[in-house]
Order: sequence, then C-alpha cells, then structure tokens
Amino acid sequence: MEKVKKKLSENILDKISMDFLRNQVLKNAYGNDDTVIAKLDPRILLVWYLFFAIVPWFVNDVVFLAGCFILVAATTILARVAGLVLVLFGLGVFSQTGYMFIVSLFFGGNWETIVPLLIMTLKVATVSLASVTVFSGLDPDRLSNGLMWYGCPERLSFSISYAYRMLPMLMEEFQNVLLSYRLRGNAPDSTTFGGKVKYLIYQIKVIVHAFYPLMLNTAKRSRTTVEALEIKGYRYAAVNKEVKKMKLSSLKVGYNDMMFAAISFLCVAVTIFTTTII
Amino acid sequence: MNIIEIKDLTFTYPGAGKPTLNKINLQIEKGDFVAVIGNNGCGKSTLCKVMNGLIPHFITGEFEGSVMAGGINTQESDIGELARTVGYVYQDFENQIVRPTVLDDASYACMNYAMKDYKERGMEALKQCGLTGRENDYIWQLSGGQTHLLALAGAVSLQPDVLILDEPIAQLDPHHADLIYEILKDLNEKYNKTIIVIEHHTEYIADYCKNVILLKDGHVEWTLPSADALCRVEELKQCNIYPPQVTLAAYELEHKGRIRDIEILPSTIEEGKKIFEGLLHKNTDKKEKSDLTKGEACVTYENVFVSYRAVKGEANKIFENLNLKLYEGEKIALIGSNGAGKSTLMKLMTGLIKPSSGQVILKDKKVKDTKPEQLSRYVSLVYQNPEDMFIKDSIESDIAFAMQVRNEENWQERTERLLERFRLAELKNRDGRLLSGGQMRRASLAIGIALNPEILLLDEPTANLDIATRKEIMSTLNDMKSITKTVMIATHDMQLVCEWAERIIVLYHGRVIADGTRDEIFGNKEVINKVGIRPPEIFTMGQTLDSNAFCYTVNEFVEQFV
Repeated sequence: MEKVKKKLSENILDKISMDFLRNQVLKNAYGNDDTVIAKLDPRILLVWYLFFAIVPWFVNDVVFLAGCFILVAATTILARVAGLVLVLFGLGVFSQTGYMFIVSLFFGGNWETIVPLLIMTLKVATVSLASVTVFSGLDPDRLSNGLMWYGCPERLSFSISYAYRMLPMLMEEFQNVLLSYRLRGNAPDSTTFGGKVKYLIYQIKVIVHAFYPLMLNTAKRSRTTVEALEIKGYRYAAVNKEVKKMKLSSLKVGYNDMMFAAISFLCVAVTIFTTTII
Repeated sequence: MNIIEIKDLTFTYPGAGKPTLNKINLQIEKGDFVAVIGNNGCGKSTLCKVMNGLIPHFITGEFEGSVMAGGINTQESDIGELARTVGYVYQDFENQIVRPTVLDDASYACMNYAMKDYKERGMEALKQCGLTGRENDYIWQLSGGQTHLLALAGAVSLQPDVLILDEPIAQLDPHHADLIYEILKDLNEKYNKTIIVIEHHTEYIADYCKNVILLKDGHVEWTLPSADALCRVEELKQCNIYPPQVTLAAYELEHKGRIRDIEILPSTIEEGKKIFEGLLHKNTDKKEKSDLTKGEACVTYENVFVSYRAVKGEANKIFENLNLKLYEGEKIALIGSNGAGKSTLMKLMTGLIKPSSGQVILKDKKVKDTKPEQLSRYVSLVYQNPEDMFIKDSIESDIAFAMQVRNEENWQERTERLLERFRLAELKNRDGRLLSGGQMRRASLAIGIALNPEILLLDEPTANLDIATRKEIMSTLNDMKSITKTVMIATHDMQLVCEWAERIIVLYHGRVIADGTRDEIFGNKEVINKVGIRPPEIFTMGQTLDSNAFCYTVNEFVEQFV
C-alpha cells in the first residue's frame, strides 16, 4: 500500500517529464517515416480518411462498424504510432462513451442497452483511430503536399511543414524555460496531502507561465526567418503556378497505394456482405 | 572587374536620428575574399543587407546613392533577381532554415524560383558545402557546424557570384570553425565566388582573407590587404578589434626595442617564426602542478551511467562509469568537443538529469533523493542561451524572482546591489531579450548568483560574443571569483580557460581523459591532438620557438622571450 501511495504521489513533472513528452512528440512526428503507412501517397490516404471519418456516423450496424474498427486499428499498428498518442486516444474514447458502457453493465444493463452504447463507442473509436493513423502516421510534409493537391491554400501547407521543422526547437526551448522556473521558483512542500494538491496547482501554473517567455523568444527569432523567406523566394513561389506543379510532381500513386486501397475496399465489402447475410 | 560597386550611399532607418551608413564608397573585386570589421553598431550588417537588396526592397528607410551588385542596380531590380547574384548567411543562421530535411532546405530557394532541376541544384550545393551523405537527415540531427553549412548551402544553391556571411564562426568550436573557412576558401578558389565575411576573429582573417574593410561610424575608413590591415594595432584597438596575438606580441616587442627592422608585423605563426627567431626563452622553470592535497570533496560522481532516449533506435550513451571528484573552492574549466557530455555533466549536479545507475553526491546529500528546487540553494546553472533564463518582463524582476519567492531577507536591497555590481542599474526595467549580447550575458550571470549558491555552473559564458564583449565578460568572471566558492565553466574558449581556470577537465566521448593545471593539459600533446583542442595562438607561438615555453597571454610571452 505504502508503495502504491508513493507511486501515486509522484508528480506530473517527474513522472511524465518534459523530456519524456518531447521524446514522444518527436517520435510521433519524425520517428516513423519508414512505415508502410508513411510511404503511401497522401492523396489516397486523405480519401481513405474521409471515408472512415464520415461513413461510420451514418451506419448503425454493429458488424459493419466492428469491421471498420478492426481495419483502422490494423493501420494504426502499421503506422507505429507513439505510445502517448494511443494512451490519449484510449482516455478520450473512454471518457466519451466507454465509461457509460461499463456503468450500464454494472447496473443490470442487458443486450438492449449495451448495443446502442457499443455502436456509439465503435463509431467514436473508428473515427479517432483513422485520424491518428493519417495525421500521425503520415509525415507532416507529405500531408501538407496532399492537402495542397486538393486545393488547400499554399499558406496552410507551408505552415504545417514549418511547424514540423520548428517543433524540436520549440520543445527544447520550452523545456529550458520550464527548468528556469523550476530551479529558481520555490515549490510548496509536498509531504502532506494538502501540500500535494498545492504542488500540483503550482506545477500547472508554472507550465502556463512558461508560455510567455517562449512566445517572446519565438517572436525574436522570426525576424530572420521572415527575411530569409523573402530571399528564398517564398512570395514569388506563392503566386507561381509552375512552382506548385513542381512541388506536387513528387506525388505518385504506386503499387503499394493500389494495394492499400484495394485491401481496404475488400475489407469493407466483406463486412457489408457479412451483415447482409446475417 | 568590380562585382560590388557602391557610390555615395547614405541610409537612415526610419525614426533613427542619424544615418547608419554615411556616404559609403566601396568597390569589391570579383574573386576577392574580404573581411568587414568594425565596432558594434557601426553598420556592418546594414551594409551587407544593402548589397543583397533587402535594403531598400524589404527594409525601408531613407536611401541615397547607388549600389551595383554583379552589374545590377539593386534599386531597379527585385530581391528574387538579386538572390541569384548575392547569397546571404545570417548570424543566427538556424532561423534561416525553414524546411525539415537537409536536401529540402538546400533546394528550397531553387524550387521557389521555379528551376526545374531544383533537386540537382540542391545536391550540387550540398556537395560544395561538404554535406554530401546527409541529404535525408532531419535538421535537428545536424550539429551546430553542419547547420551552418546547410544555411550556406541554401544560399549557394542559387549559384550567386557573391556570398556574404555574418559572423560565420561565432557559435562554433575551433574544429568546425576551420571547416567552415576551408569550405569558404574552396568556394572562393575553385568556384570563383566572391566571399564577404563580417568577422571579429582576426586569426582567421590573417589565415584566409585577402582584404579587409574597416567601417567606422557608418563610413568606410579604409580598405587594405589583410597583412597591412592587421598591423594597424592602435587603430584597430580603438575600434575594439584585437589583432592576432602574434601581431600584438610583435608590436609590444618592437616598442620595447627587442626586435628591430621589421617591415611588417607578423600575423600568422609562420610569419612569427621568422620574426621572433632571434629571441631567447628565459627559463622560468616553475611549472604549475596539480595540488594533490585537496581536502574535502564537495561533489562526487560515483560510477555514473547516463543515456538519452533517442527518437529512433537505441538510446544514446553519454557517460559510462564516470568517476570524478570536485573540491571546494576550485575554479574548473570543462573542455571537450561538441557532444562530449559537458552540459550533461553539469546538469547531473542540478538534479535535472538523473543517472541511470551510479550516483552524484553533493556534500553529504545524494542528488537522487533531493528535489531540484532544494538543490538550487547549493548549485546554480547559467544556460548557454541567456534568453532561456529570462522568465519575467524586466531584468530587475528576473534577478529578484528567486529571492522574492523564497522570502529572503531584504531581497530588494540585494537585487539593487546585484544590478549595481553587474552594471545593469540603468537597464533594470528592460526585457532581457532586448538587450545586447554582453548585457544579456551579464544579466544571466546576475540571475545565476542571486541565491548565493556555493557552486556556480556556467555553460559557454563567452559564446556568441564579439571579442570586446568577450573580454568584458572575462573580467566580470574574474571579479566573481571572490563571490562564489566553486565555479565550473564549460567552454570552447581557450583564452578564457588559460586566463581563468585553476583546474582543467578534458572530456572525450563521455570519459575524463585528462585533468590538471593548464601546464599539464596544454603540455600534453597526445591529449591536445586527440581531442582537437586549439591552445591560444600565443601559446602555440611560444611552443614553436621553444618547447619549454608556457606562455598563455601576450604579456607572458613578452616577459618570457628576450
């Protein structure tokens, strides 16, 4: 018991340290560029996503939804999504509908009450997993190219890939600022229960405060970046159709893309077939 | 043929009282390798931005006169066209890189200007800048030196005739600094590029540059061949520029009448050898030895293992079985190349990084069992990047912060005193980020000692500073010797090491491979070569003349050689 208590009382900054968070975020953004999913054509993947993000909302058939869920879960595994994202996903789904599902089981719920909840949970889970696969499995740069092909403004796609380049720097800087607060600040004593609550509040406060210096530092940096973009012809490219064509010429639908689309189609077809038979 | 021609140029920033550039007339020949020198704020960067058209096209102001770059009048052209004639690498070059991967960034400009073969151009630029093989790496996987090379490659990819670099080596260790200059030399000789550098390191000017332009109060004072330029010792010193140590030594010796009849002062070791040949070394015979009776250890590292989580693959091992003792009152310099584990060693003391096995003991406290907040009473760490230390909106409240939240007695007075001591009283209401490099550094030092720590850790306190500011910080550090008992500095700056440290610890791939006084370290050729330490130029000069000579400053050299 004593051990469990100690474990629980360890605080957020120690347990889920910034270092750990940073590592997870980076892993998610850069660590899985060699997976099957990452190599797919972003355009195909976006259409695929559109299907699994919209269709489940309009279907209420358990078998179909379960089929979709299994398919999407398989792609998530293929994309090797970082652990933290999956934990967040699990928490999200559970807090939406999952808990009701369990509660109803406890309070004498029968098949009739469970089915609608199961359907709801499956819907939410499928849609969120599809988003996780596409937005974290695909590297942001390819994603932004895909979006641009579908006519999203150049500015949006540039912002996505720029954020992708800046992310590690910002995380490191945030970590340093946070450490400054930590080393110079005076944390409340956390031996008693009241102290622990105070300590938690203190830590959240520090995290919020740390954003202010981070923003100022970023603003300072951006001066050079803006000038450099000008020199590198960013504005010139934004109005030139030729450049857009060149950028998008790297997108090619290959054998793997066809296979992926075919397998997904097949799975969906099989589930539809199964429901009609049942 | 002149590649740059500036006639009667006057430029005033909007709202500024007087012009930053005043009646500039300047010609730079094609194929030149030229250094622009001058005091802080004399308009060096502004001059360079005039050449690539950022002024007046992007930064507006009052502009008079004419600027021709590669035969194009910058006022009549646009930035796009000029970018293909003049390439620019910023001092804060990492902010110039906008794409996530190496090849992407190198070819980005070519793609934007709709060049069909942009990938090949990017590859070519990477080859010219010595980055072949790193094409698919992410930006954050590169070292500082490589990042700089990439920024250069981004400019080179458009194959401009002129390349301008704003303080290219300010942030780099000597090994990377050499690398950058070798590549610039290559670009200059093999590819016939005109190179313009803003540079404070006169040793590099002596080794690489053909001509020097001195800017003073917004006008060109003179343009001279490097050797002549560096001999003008008094004039340069007035502008806060320090000629190479060899030149300074010859200048002093000439004044004292010990060397005569020299046409031109030497600026490199090779030249120095000829000039100083006749001098004899006065054997001083007192080599500094490590004091072996050191008393109680205040920090002990016992069998420490540390590794970092990697984004991909295995964790990176930083330390394997590190054992080290630090004693009270020591002034320690920690040296070693980038990535040798210097910062990690310091962060272990503050409890910010925990060893995977082994332990760090501070006096009688185990770091593992103590919260970093409590350790901060004993140990204080000043980051390499001072901006990360500013968490309040004025430096006064930044300095006061730690004392205030701990309810220290008379914290107001103590803040007041610290502001005085670090000459920040007049700036106390300013945001730290908006101060100049030297002021920022002083403010971060003041923040670091606010809690009167027993151990002060400084990460690269003189990085990114021009030589004059560096000297200023060095004297501040010497002043501080009396305030804090034990101080450890991690640095690449060997002049700082020689003039300040009493004990030097050399890290190499996570191991301590040498530990001792400056004589013991710099006298050990094996270690020097292995780690790639570059002793101050004057030390090497002394050694070349007589292997028994250990002189670390120009004054010592002048005293010892008669």
